[in-house]
Amino acid sequence: MKSTLSIISALILSAFMSSCHDVREYADDPRGNFEALWTILDEHYCFFSQKDIDWDAVYDTYARRIGPEMTGEELFIVCADMLDELRDGHVNLSAAFNTSYYRKWWSDYPQNFSLRLIEESYFNFNYRQSSGMLYGILRENIGYIYYGSFANPVGEGNLDNVLYFLKNTQGLIIDVRDNGGGDLTNVRTLVSRFITRPTVVGYISHKTGPAHDAFSEPMEITYNPADIGRIRWGKPVIVLTNRSTFSAANNFASVMKLLPGVRLVGATTGGGSGMPYSSELPNGWGVRFSACSMLDAEGRSTEAGVEPTEGCVVDMDPLQALSGKDTILEFALDLLQNPR
Amino acid sequence: MKVRKALLSLASLLLCLPASGMRPVADADTAATVVRPVFAAYTLEYGSAHLTDTYLTPLRYEGWHAGFDYQRYQAMRFAPRDWTMCLHMNLSVDKTDNPARNASMWDIMLSADWGMMRRFRPLPGLTLAAGASTGIELGCLYNPRNGNNPASAKAAWTVNLTGFASYSLRIWRLPVTFTYQPTLPVTGVFFSPDYGELYYEIYLGDHSGLTHCAWWGNYFRLDNQLSADLHFGSTNLRLGYHGTVFSSKVNHLVTNRFTHALSVGVSGEWMSVNPRKGLPRKVRMISALY
Repeated sequence: MKSTLSIISALILSAFMSSCHDVREYADDPRGNFEALWTILDEHYCFFSQKDIDWDAVYDTYARRIGPEMTGEELFIVCADMLDELRDGHVNLSAAFNTSYYRKWWSDYPQNFSLRLIEESYFNFNYRQSSGMLYGILRENIGYIYYGSFANPVGEGNLDNVLYFLKNTQGLIIDVRDNGGGDLTNVRTLVSRFITRPTVVGYISHKTGPAHDAFSEPMEITYNPADIGRIRWGKPVIVLTNRSTFSAANNFASVMKLLPGVRLVGATTGGGSGMPYSSELPNGWGVRFSACSMLDAEGRSTEAGVEPTEGCVVDMDPLQALSGKDTILEFALDLLQNPR
Repeated sequence: MKVRKALLSLASLLLCLPASGMRPVADADTAATVVRPVFAAYTLEYGSAHLTDTYLTPLRYEGWHAGFDYQRYQAMRFAPRDWTMCLHMNLSVDKTDNPARNASMWDIMLSADWGMMRRFRPLPGLTLAAGASTGIELGCLYNPRNGNNPASAKAAWTVNLTGFASYSLRIWRLPVTFTYQPTLPVTGVFFSPDYGELYYEIYLGDHSGLTHCAWWGNYFRLDNQLSADLHFGSTNLRLGYHGTVFSSKVNHLVTNRFTHALSVGVSGEWMSVNPRKGLPRKVRMISALY
């Protein structure tokens, strides 16, 4: 009896001693916060290989700029510069005084969009609005929907009303220029109106460990058509994109482009195909980064953006814009009226 | 007598005892009817919590812990002097802050387990019991600061070693019973997402690799309760300490949860008696805990 109790006690004690798992801790000083940031990205970021980024070399470059006496502002600048090496619009460092953004994914490109131009020149400010969508019928009897953010929920009832209103038009333009993304469930809701059967719209893969190449097998993402009784759209569709079409809107463009009867017109989208994940540093700064890679239905990454349909690359002419013409929208109108 | 009967009836209603556990059984040795009163304890607890969940954050959060705890013990029907069954339920909430105190993390956890224990009485006043239990633990850590990974769900079914050591004595003239009750899961299954897997992916249908076999190397939980029942008449004032140590590591994800709390509540032994029939003339009470 005594020996049994001793054995049980020893087992429990050894289990207790060996089973509390350590988590690496970092000091709340410039070096500790820098190390924490670098390590979080090193272990979780999903595009190192795809973007051919030598993260160890990045460490060597920026670790030299860390000093024990640097201020929070100075540390923030070094850390933000390091994150810019990832060339990813989904990567942000958030402090109470600033949030870092990598802006070159859109700032080096023409904007190709003016909502004011659409509202004024094409609708004379006489348009309808529902659930984050601006919509109406253009003079050539073409339906038009501007959806500015996938963060705005799209209701099934709202979509029914919008599509019913546009039912007699000969084609539909969905404008997602300057749409910076939002909720992927809104992408699903919207796309479900343009498919007639369960459709594989892409793949998703996550990291399975800290190694840069540790990924799960890509899993199919299948969307179902809208429920029976809901209005589905079977006429030609054109999706307008620009470089600021990003994240969930980039995903929407990649899904729509591969559907029959749908064309993408405008400029290559901004990318942002990594699902963002959040973490934090000992000093309380938040960090957001791409953690799960999403691929299109053909298994290609859209992190660098989705190109318009062949022959449909169009920029907005600033001079024509001055005279009230959106050359991207005009191209789409012409395409719907005179299919090539 | 009427008052006592009414109180006993009320107590039985409150406890909602299963019918089989309420019926007196005959003791073959003494020919007396064995009555197995239920020992129940209801306590509120408050203390500190320390949380780390690397799915949400690599930082250690600290804050308060509050909970409600229910224990129910009763001698088993088949060998009431030697075997005791226990039911233990706990609902707790933790609210913690990160070291910089600019983000909070909540933790809500519900656990319930049922077990059987073999009792020994090596010394007068001392009761030892050891046995096994099985139970579930369900809950969630929630960090509203995070966008696509704000929550880390916890779910486990475990088989546990459990037991208690109970010692009754008098302090001045007040009868007091000290009880120590540990519960240690040995094996089972538990839920964890993959290392970088978002719940959105699980929602889309990727259910592979979510359940894991638990052993001390990847899932360790030790629940310690130390209590003192101060016997004031038929109801006890229960004062105590409740501590939990939880640590898991799977898919390179570590969760640590440590709580320490002081508890206060009531406990007592109750039995269900039909007010019309009353107790049999020859009764042998077998307490579950003492």
